[in-house]
Amino acid sequence: MAAARRPIAAGAALLALAGCAAPASEAPGAADRPWDEVLAAAEGQTVDLWMYGGDEAGNAYVDDVLAPAAAELGVTLRRVPVADTGDALDRVLAERQAGTTEGDVDLVWVNGENYAAGRQAGAWLCDWALDLPNRQYTDPGDPLLQNDFGVPVEGCESPWHKAQFTLVYDSARVPEPPTTLAGVLDWAQANPGRFTYPAPPDFTGSVFVRQVLTTATGGAGEVPLEYSQEAYDQYAPELFDRLAELAPALWREGSTHPQSQQELDRLFADGEVDMTMTYGPATLIDLVADGTFPDTTRVLTLEEGTFGNASFLAIPSTSGDSAGAQVVADLALSPAQQVAKADPGTWGQFTVLDLDRLDEADRAAFEQLPPSPVVPPYEELSRNAQPELSAEWVAPLDEGWRRSVLAS
Amino acid sequence: MGLTARVARAALAAWLLLPLVPLVLWAAADRWTAPAVLPQAWGTAGLRDAVDAGAGPASLRSTVLGLVVAVLATPLGAMAGRALATYRVPVGGAVLAALLSPLVLPPFAVALGLDVLLLRLRVPEPVGVFLLLTVAALPYTTVLMRAAYAAHDTGFEEEARTLGATARQAVFHVQLPLLAPALAGAAFLAFLVGWSDYVVTLLVGGGQLVTLPLLVASAASTVGNEAQVAVLSLSSVLPPLVLLVAVGLVGQRGRA
Repeated sequence: MAAARRPIAAGAALLALAGCAAPASEAPGAADRPWDEVLAAAEGQTVDLWMYGGDEAGNAYVDDVLAPAAAELGVTLRRVPVADTGDALDRVLAERQAGTTEGDVDLVWVNGENYAAGRQAGAWLCDWALDLPNRQYTDPGDPLLQNDFGVPVEGCESPWHKAQFTLVYDSARVPEPPTTLAGVLDWAQANPGRFTYPAPPDFTGSVFVRQVLTTATGGAGEVPLEYSQEAYDQYAPELFDRLAELAPALWREGSTHPQSQQELDRLFADGEVDMTMTYGPATLIDLVADGTFPDTTRVLTLEEGTFGNASFLAIPSTSGDSAGAQVVADLALSPAQQVAKADPGTWGQFTVLDLDRLDEADRAAFEQLPPSPVVPPYEELSRNAQPELSAEWVAPLDEGWRRSVLAS
Repeated sequence: MGLTARVARAALAAWLLLPLVPLVLWAAADRWTAPAVLPQAWGTAGLRDAVDAGAGPASLRSTVLGLVVAVLATPLGAMAGRALATYRVPVGGAVLAALLSPLVLPPFAVALGLDVLLLRLRVPEPVGVFLLLTVAALPYTTVLMRAAYAAHDTGFEEEARTLGATARQAVFHVQLPLLAPALAGAAFLAFLVGWSDYVVTLLVGGGQLVTLPLLVASAASTVGNEAQVAVLSLSSVLPPLVLLVAVGLVGQRGRA
């Protein structure tokens, strides 16, 4: 979510690699043992789950639904709220550098750059996530569960929920919304001052820029997912030209950008702009329910689709309660927990399970979930979903944006 | 008191209190969207969310942390300040610079670097937090106590000694009461260091000490939690304000 300290986490990862006392960067594997033994070892353990704490619905789900269910399995689940997932990684990297085996971080809600930085430093425990009993309900061929922003997931993190990059608009102020991203950019130019996006390297702003990259260069599939200097030189200029052309029509003539999705959301809530954007549409339900966003807030589905991703639960290689952490990750993947979490009244996070693999009763539970007036169901939102570009694209595009668009 | 002084005092009070006004409004606002000047709906949702987030136990932990740092850093600062002010400390400037160095170093770098060392030495997490924050509080307590000792007239203690007081009695019954206002001020600043810290508490504390700043930071990292953030922020601001008034009273008594 907030990307304030990612570079430091990544830098720390490099330091951990370079330091003479740093441990090997290969990911340590979990002990290969039958699930019964994992359950027995987990009994009585306390699992510290470090997760981004700004999402009230998410906090409530973990405290009121997941933790009591974990308690029934003999595992105490303790939530540690952090302002930035990078904080959790920083602690794990310090523990890893010190060779700790009884670390204080047992489970982290993670994806993207933090996962990649941790993988590089061997911070995550591997060889466990594919063995979880409830993993059978996911589709092994699901691309979102195979790669996390271009980094192989393998057995090093367990899927938790799916998300879709989403544009959001106020239907009272935009009665006839565009249906493609190119249309959104044209709309923004026709309505000066009513649109803007967070400045990369903010996570959301950065996704928006990558989304425009696919639009400006001829649609999904054109830009290779793997980064190369040649691909960058070929496609980036078109992207920056399009964004530079858009700039004068942005909020405050593009002379300044919101620094974060949070600031953009504030502008949208206060009616200064007519659109906002998020990689976590589940939060929209709460924002509308508590009146922060107007009742007329709607999700803008784009014909060509948008980037989708999944987020995961990872166990640090330093965790002292990794058996308990595996039990919690498996519990979080169970149909009962996934359906409770998908309920818009609870958290509204899209499931990672493949409904075709569930038994009748579980599938029915998913199908009976109440629809949200704000967020369309996953099938609609993820139509034509595009795979995320690999993480190596992010930094050059952010830097190029700063030099070509912001400075111009 | 002259008119100018009175106006200056009022301006100062306004400058300190005005930023709290929107905070108080937000804390009681269930709904407040632009362009409304005042909240459209009043209520206790912010308070409820703050309590759900664990504001109660977090305040208690913050208080304990602040008190421990104050108890450790105040006497240490007093001793360092006294030595620097009264004795000829060899390379006193360098010693002072070393004591002040925590002010210059970014706390994030210090926390990340020392975290590894403390983990290797197997220092329990809370002890590590107490140690690091005490060092971070030392510049404030040392500078304050150095100034206090520099202005302190040792004649009173000498007088007590000639009247037959032991060295110990002279310190505890003469020197410390005279320095009470400065000590209270130093303790207050040290308390604030522990009370308001985020990065050391989280990283070195390994998430074991979920204090108020941790709750404020995570709640404030997104839109939609304004009422909760306001309640949490008020919970963070009010106790130090009360303490400040208490310290001020000690100071007045000291002058009287």
